[in-house]
Formats: sequence, C-alpha cells, structure tokens
Amino acid sequence: MIVAKNVSRSHKSFKILHEINVSVEKGEMLIIIGPNGAGKSTLLSSLADESRLQHDEIYFKGKKMSDWSKADLARHKAKFSQENNSDIGLLVKDIVLMGRYPYFNTQPHKQDWEVVHQAMERTDILKLKDRDYNSLSGGEKQRVHLARVLAQLENDDVDSLALFDEPLNNLDVRHQYHILETIRQYTEKGNSAILVLHDLNLAAEFADKVLLLKRGEVVAHGRPEYIFREDIISKAYDFPCAICKNPVTQNPMIVFRNQNRRCSMGKLNQSFG
Amino acid sequence: MQNKLLVYITCSAILLVGIAIVSLNLGAYTFEDTSLWNVFKNGIMGDINASASGDHYVLFKIRLPRIVMGILIGSALAVSGTCLQGMFKNPLATPNLIGVTSGASLFAAVSIVLGAHLRTYLPEVLHYSLISIMAFLGAILTMTFVYRISTSRKKTNVVVMLLAGVAISALAGAVTGFLTYLTKEEQLRDLTFWTLGSLGGATWVKNGILAVVILFSYYFLINKGKGLNAMMLGEEDAAHLGFPVERIKKQIIILTALLVGTCVAFSGAIGFVGLIVPYILRLLFKSNYHIILPLSAVVGSILLLLADTVSRTIVSPSELPIGILTAFLGAPVFIAILIRFKKSLL
Repeated sequence: MIVAKNVSRSHKSFKILHEINVSVEKGEMLIIIGPNGAGKSTLLSSLADESRLQHDEIYFKGKKMSDWSKADLARHKAKFSQENNSDIGLLVKDIVLMGRYPYFNTQPHKQDWEVVHQAMERTDILKLKDRDYNSLSGGEKQRVHLARVLAQLENDDVDSLALFDEPLNNLDVRHQYHILETIRQYTEKGNSAILVLHDLNLAAEFADKVLLLKRGEVVAHGRPEYIFREDIISKAYDFPCAICKNPVTQNPMIVFRNQNRRCSMGKLNQSFG
Repeated sequence: MQNKLLVYITCSAILLVGIAIVSLNLGAYTFEDTSLWNVFKNGIMGDINASASGDHYVLFKIRLPRIVMGILIGSALAVSGTCLQGMFKNPLATPNLIGVTSGASLFAAVSIVLGAHLRTYLPEVLHYSLISIMAFLGAILTMTFVYRISTSRKKTNVVVMLLAGVAISALAGAVTGFLTYLTKEEQLRDLTFWTLGSLGGATWVKNGILAVVILFSYYFLINKGKGLNAMMLGEEDAAHLGFPVERIKKQIIILTALLVGTCVAFSGAIGFVGLIVPYILRLLFKSNYHIILPLSAVVGSILLLLADTVSRTIVSPSELPIGILTAFLGAPVFIAILIRFKKSLL
C-alpha cells in the first residue's frame, strides 16, 4: 500500500526524522508509538504528503507520492489531524459532509448524505448532527472529525489509507474502543490504517504491526508480541515496566512502575504473590 | 438540499428585480408618460421620438445605468468581502477595513490628477480602463502587503491585519489630501466624489467594463464555497480533501483586488458592503460559504440598490453620498461582530 524509504526531516540543524524506512501492507493497521519528541507526528504527516520534498522516496500504491495529484489522493487517503481548528461556524453534519467534497461538484448526491449518516452513526454523533459545532465538547468535536475522515474514504472501488494522529485524545473509554473497532473493521475490508497512539495497551490489542520510534529513529518494527518486551519498552521510554499476558484478551499487557517507589511496589507484589 | 440554494438565489433575484423596477420610478424627475414600460419599449425599439425626450433621457442615460451600476458594484463588493473573510478566516476581513479600498483609491486619485491632461487624447473606454487598472494595482499591492505582514505560519493575526488597514488608510488619506490641495477646480469635484463614494457617474461604458470584470472574476470565484469551507478546518486538512489551497488563495487575492479596484475606480470608496452582506447571511446560514458565497452576489446588489435609491430620494432633488448610508448600516454591524467574536479575535 505505502512504502517509504529513507525519510528524513529536519528543523534548521535539528534532525526530527533520520532515514526512516517503513511500509504498510494492504489490510494492515500500523500503530506508531514512542516517547515525546520521537517524531511520530512528523512521520505521519510525511507519509500523509503534507510536506512534499523532492528527494522523498515515498511510494503510494506503487506510484511515487509526488506523482499523485492532490485531487486524486483525496479519494485514496485521508488524515485525521491532532490540532483541529476549534472555531468553525458550521453545523456538525456540514462538517462531516466535507469528507464527501472530493466526490461531488456543486451539490451533494443522495448517496453522499447516506455515507455522512453512516459515518455519524459509527462515531456516535448522530444525535448531534444539527448542533452548532462550536457548542460541542472536546471529545464530541474529535468524533465529528473522525466521522469526516471515515466519510472521506467510503467508496467501493478503491482500497484506501487512513492516517490518524492521536485519534483517542479527549475520548472516554467506551468511545476509545468504539473508534478503534471501527478502524479495525475498516482495515479488515482491505484498507490500511496508520495511527499514532500513546496508550500502549490499546496499541498492543489492536495493532497488526507496531513501529517504535525514539529521537527520530526506528527502535523496533514488527508484530506487537515482538515489540512489547520489557527490555525494549523500558529502554525506549526510559522508564521501567513489566509486561505480562492480559488475562482477558491474551495480548501483551504493559504496566509501568516508578523506580523510586520500587520498594513499595515490591511489597505490593509480595502481598499479591 | 439540492434545490435549496437555487431557491434562495431565485427568491432574492426576484426581490432584486422588484426593487430595481420600483427604483426606476423614483427620483427627482417625474415621467410624463404614465407607463414607464412604454418609454422603455420605445427606447429599445429605437423609436426615440415616440416618448417625450426628457423621459427617454432620464431613463436611458441616468436612471437605468445608475441602477445597473448599483447592482454590479453591490454584487462585486459583497462577493469580494465574502471571499476575503473566507481566506483570512475572519468576519472582519473586508476590503475597506484591511485598507484595500484605500489603496485602490490612492492609486486612482493619483491617476486622475496626473492623468488629467491625457483625458483629451484617450477614448473614453481607455481612459476609464486606465483608472481602473491603476486602482487594481493599488488594491493588489495593499492586499499582498496586508496578507504578508499579518499571516505567519498559516495563521492570520487579526490585530496586525486591521492595524495594517488603518496605516494604509492613513497614508491614502494623506496623499489624497495633498492632491486635493494641489488640484484645480474641476478635478477637485472628482476627488471629493472618490472619498465619499457615489453612483452618480454611471455610464454604459463603465457598466460594460464592470460587467466584463465581474463575469471573469465570478467564473473563478463563485464556486470556491467548498474550498473556503474546507479551509476553516485548517489549510493542511483542506489539502487532504484535495483542494489546491495556495492556488485558491492566489486567485482570491488577484480577483478580489480586480473587483475592488474596478469598483473604486468607478464609484469611489463605498464602504461596508462587504461587511454587512456576509454578516446578515451568516446569521441565517452560519459560515457555510457553499451557500453564502453565491448568495452574497445577489444580496449585495439588493443592499446597494436600496441604499442608492434612498440616497437619491431622501433629500430630493439633491442627493446624499451613498457612503454615508452604508456607513450608517455598517458601523453597528462592525460593533456587533466585535462583541460577538471578541474572544476569538485575538
């Protein structure tokens, strides 16, 4: 689906990304994790073609990213951005309808409204559809933009790529799971998704592949069970952790503990033991 | 949804035609023929002698061109206001508040005074085109200047934008004042007319130039509603939806400068139309540019035609400068926007 070779980005003399190689297969959900300042968002925006550089070697569906026209790309990939403008004087349904802008010229077709309706249903904002966007809470606004991205990629004839930069911010636990389930359904249809997430346990549960970044370089890339190991995670985050099997889902479960409180944690373990 | 926009536009267009017909009948001169339609028909058929000569002259040389000019200029000013507000993402970004009108009148004033001796050698079309080209240059220089200094990292600093407008208006005021001091009697009359704004100088030649400019600009601008909506999300997100953001912004800068420049060249600095019309439409349709942009083209005409009709009838047989009326309407709107958006302005 997408292959990126030697992607580098820098700000003045500071290197934000250093020769990153990454690829995502059809139907794969890749989750990018890493400590603050690792370059996760920068990598995601490079893959989303936000900052086109001449020497970039990013291939999307076998074609060089810079050879795609912006209008075509809009039907094949979409991005959910972390910083959404908080002041938009429109109704919720009109914002979700923007996801259909690549598909109609002057007036939306009936089908476009159907897609908008479905997308709002899936992100649980259907009852907000006639509300003023500016009157919504942070989590509700977040879901409006998620619905917009889902609506943008709803088409039969192409398999698409969706990029999400921290889509779960401000969401309660029910909506976090709900959104990730929706993205999983989307990838199961043969589409691909790349997410930046902070919650390692959710990443372990939902990712097909995980990319661990630190200081602009790849620390590890692979299936979750190879990434979520105590030595790798502790070193990358510079913070001790313990990893065991989640008794319910059988996925790796990551528990961080503060070094200074190891004693008490030890006692705690003993008392549990 | 499909036909809603069409319905709104049709309704307001019918309203506009109605107002235009009423406006034709109002004025200092009373027609001798009881049916204005007869005068109109005779004029169109080339049968001039069939109507009283006064009737024919007033209808075809004074009222009709003036009404057409009001419709054209109102529309152009409202559309440029709406486009600029979309581009600057702010309801206060209008041609006269950011100084574009002043920049255009500055250049137009210079070309009137310095170009006065050319007037005898040039045909009318070229002479008016020269003034409007100069006004366009003034408009585009100001617009580029204001956009450059007020926008950094794709965000517009509203305070800088408005203060840049104040600075340019001050400069334009100073130069126009200086020119007034220098000029001879006849140009003085022209210059006073610039600063106050009036549709009194309407002719068919000016209307022709205006119509061409407006048709050309609307061809590119009027369908930018979706793009402007998407730009509210942020320019990067608009690009993800497939919009060529940089190209849209360039088109808006050049074409609104062209519209404002031409309007200023022919009718002087009529303020606030680009502020009032989008404001009213926003109250009804939110900031949905997909609807308010095409609609502002018609509502702008209605507003300016109404204002002009009032301005030439209220103190008949004399007339009130139209800029006074639009300012009376515009200033409260300005204050309303300040109160409503005071939190998001900084």
